[in-house]
Amino acid sequence: MRQTERLIDTTPTPARSGGSVITIDTATPAGAARGRRFLTMAVVLLVIWAALTDFRPDALVFGLPAVLAGAGLVFLMPTSPRWRLSLRGAPGFVLWFVAQSVRGAVDVAWRAFAPQMPLRPGFRRYPMALPAGAPRVLFLNTVTLLPGTLSAELAGDSVVVHMLDTRADLAADLNALEARVAALFALT
Amino acid sequence: MLDILGAALIGLGTVFFVAGTVGLLRFPDIFCRLHALTKADGLGLALIALGVALMADGAGDVVRITLIWFFVAVAGATCGHLIARYARRAMPEGRHD
Repeated sequence: MRQTERLIDTTPTPARSGGSVITIDTATPAGAARGRRFLTMAVVLLVIWAALTDFRPDALVFGLPAVLAGAGLVFLMPTSPRWRLSLRGAPGFVLWFVAQSVRGAVDVAWRAFAPQMPLRPGFRRYPMALPAGAPRVLFLNTVTLLPGTLSAELAGDSVVVHMLDTRADLAADLNALEARVAALFALT
Repeated sequence: MLDILGAALIGLGTVFFVAGTVGLLRFPDIFCRLHALTKADGLGLALIALGVALMADGAGDVVRITLIWFFVAVAGATCGHLIARYARRAMPEGRHD
């Protein structure tokens, strides 16, 4: 573990070598990758179950089968590309995320209450630079929280965004969001 | 003191839920209505969860409230996307973009 930038590894597949990046291994067969993901998911679900039941051991009668069944779903789902979180990028993203979701909610609440209801809705297409997988999923879900934008449909590497006011600068907002997501996933 | 702050946050959260509902009723089409529901109700829930967490008895309750907020937030954004996608595909051709 280096002090400057610590990274959380989740899905082990081919690793990238870099000065401040910690990776687990370089090449794992798909089966081993699935097994690793199963264990990770089982631990996460077990922690959630423990929190839900206040660490009552007798609740594990129901908890263990549920955890195993839930974690077993990784064998039914397609594998997604590996992703890592940058602990250095996380605080900035969280603060920005909170500020943007407050802005987005205040903006839409104001439009809903305003007597004239200032709307000029429409669709815009935005080409995504982020890689497929977790970064893109987070990007798409966060677009919906930004003021006046809603991710409506995926079209290849582009996302169709519905805007409450098409006069707003969509590209500038989404470029900023992509940069934040890239920093969170240590892609920059 | 914490109770007063918690109550204030819960009150503010309900304002956003009302705003989301007003938007749902007043906005002209399904896409604009999704904006109102995903954004305003999302912040409304976050504020209410924060307010309730301030009044909670123990750490276990706070963790459970946080989990509720997290899963509702993720489900809200994902469902908004899915409904919008379905509505777009059901739209007559020519209205796209």
